[in-house]
Amino acid sequence: MQKHRIQIEDLEGRHPGLTPGIALAYREAAEVCLARHHSSPTDLSIEHKSQVTGVAEWNPPDARTKRGWANETDATEAGAYCVALATIEVTGELVAISRAETRTGADYYIAPKGTQPTDLEAAYRLEVSGIDEGDASSVKTRLNQKIKQALRGRSSLPAIAAVVAFSSANVAIADAVQVEQK
Amino acid sequence: MTWAQHHQESERASAEAHLARRSGDLSSAKSLFDRAAEAELKAIALLDPASKPRTYGITAVSAAALLYKSERVAEAEIFAHSILSRADLPEFATDQLKELLQTIWNEQVQASAGVRFVPGQVTVSVDGGEVVRGGAPLDLIVERVQTIQSLFYRTAEFLKKLPLRRHGPATKPIQELCRPWLFQSVPGSYQFTVAIQGPAQGDMFKADEPEPRLVASTFMTILEGAATDPENALQNVVPDTEYRSTFLKLARNLAPTGRSFSQLEIRSSQGSGPVVLTQDSRKAMTRSIRQQAPVAVAGNQIEPTILRGVLRAVHLEKDWLELNVEDKLLHISGVGETLDDVIGPLVNHAVIVQAIADAKGAYVFRDIELDDGATDV
Repeated sequence: MQKHRIQIEDLEGRHPGLTPGIALAYREAAEVCLARHHSSPTDLSIEHKSQVTGVAEWNPPDARTKRGWANETDATEAGAYCVALATIEVTGELVAISRAETRTGADYYIAPKGTQPTDLEAAYRLEVSGIDEGDASSVKTRLNQKIKQALRGRSSLPAIAAVVAFSSANVAIADAVQVEQK
Repeated sequence: MTWAQHHQESERASAEAHLARRSGDLSSAKSLFDRAAEAELKAIALLDPASKPRTYGITAVSAAALLYKSERVAEAEIFAHSILSRADLPEFATDQLKELLQTIWNEQVQASAGVRFVPGQVTVSVDGGEVVRGGAPLDLIVERVQTIQSLFYRTAEFLKKLPLRRHGPATKPIQELCRPWLFQSVPGSYQFTVAIQGPAQGDMFKADEPEPRLVASTFMTILEGAATDPENALQNVVPDTEYRSTFLKLARNLAPTGRSFSQLEIRSSQGSGPVVLTQDSRKAMTRSIRQQAPVAVAGNQIEPTILRGVLRAVHLEKDWLELNVEDKLLHISGVGETLDDVIGPLVNHAVIVQAIADAKGAYVFRDIELDDGATDV
């Protein structure tokens, strides 16, 4: 079976909504999370429209990076953004085009590759969630939660939900609107 | 310059601000958020809300949030009010701006109350079933508030490495370490906010006491583990079996059975993702609780019996409870390991008890949960 290459490095070059600083921080966090359970390269089991396999190559984090991402919650959240964006770029041909602040953090907006947006009228809002420990069943539970959350009306934009489980190397992505209509 | 150029300038500055905040450079973070807010205000000034309502709504929320994050709270309040006066504002933006305003008002009240609250207040949102926008049955809310209070105290006791408290309320020092307060929140389904009062200003933490902000963040991590992966994730956070079982039972008491409400969401102001408790998470927690419960009586493995009735009496020290099942009072023993704050809120409510009948037909307790008519067994 063909394996898709999931590139967690240089995200800023392919996702206009990411600054180099944020992209580097996300990559460091992803490497810390992956290194807790795997060695590079890591096979990822991806569910987005269909079941596919991806492979991510990454550098083991040094001690300083590990110390910098000692807070597991922060690392899992940032690492999940990195893996989710790198995956959705391959499986959905979508990239982050913008980032907007919210009261507690920030939301990413994604659109098809090559789009030169002058506004956010047609962009998708991305809901990302990370799990450090967890199997495919946990990913499914979390994905359902994320979809419900996305549908609860935080934005009238169509939303896409993504869940990344680092221990089991699972990534699940769903279009919140489509899933609800099924 | 265009909206896109100003917005990108704001994105760059806010991204740097988040990185500065993460590295502990709060002064740079504030100044970068300030720059981002200015750029976002310029961006929104170039937008026509009638032709680009979504972009306008997203940018408005972003500008208000940036003003708030740059500690220009009064300006954030005025800006949010001015945007909310627009009739054509998308609903998502209206909801988020109202939420921001409520946060500002709560913080103002907290500051003027002379009480020190720790960062990481949580907003609890109950949705579906009998819950309407801004209103909910009193017993439903009171029981959840009590359970949240129990979870906070139990979290503090767990972090302090105290033996599991079997009876009675939390000790006074624990209550003083992290006393939960209830604040109103904006109506959106039914919502309330819980803030944690820390020790009085000037009090020093004792060496063996957890910092109150750690209690707040661990509370969220425990709920997250219970909601999504009670078998693995919760075990990593709470390795102690007895504490883990207690947290699971309390988290299950928060979760919906489906009739009176369908979802409970808990969000922390510290920015980590929300924890959502649904019927599915309740079922997963029940499975995990029952796997840990004893399955044998006098060496014989027996299939558990499900009993539905009203919990009439509990005597934890004498190790029994009484259940009224179709006007017949059943005596069930073996409840001694059950905890006050898990079983207490269930007294005089319809419940489902899982028990094992011994050879003489006497029941031995395994598990108890609320039964509102929609609970699967």
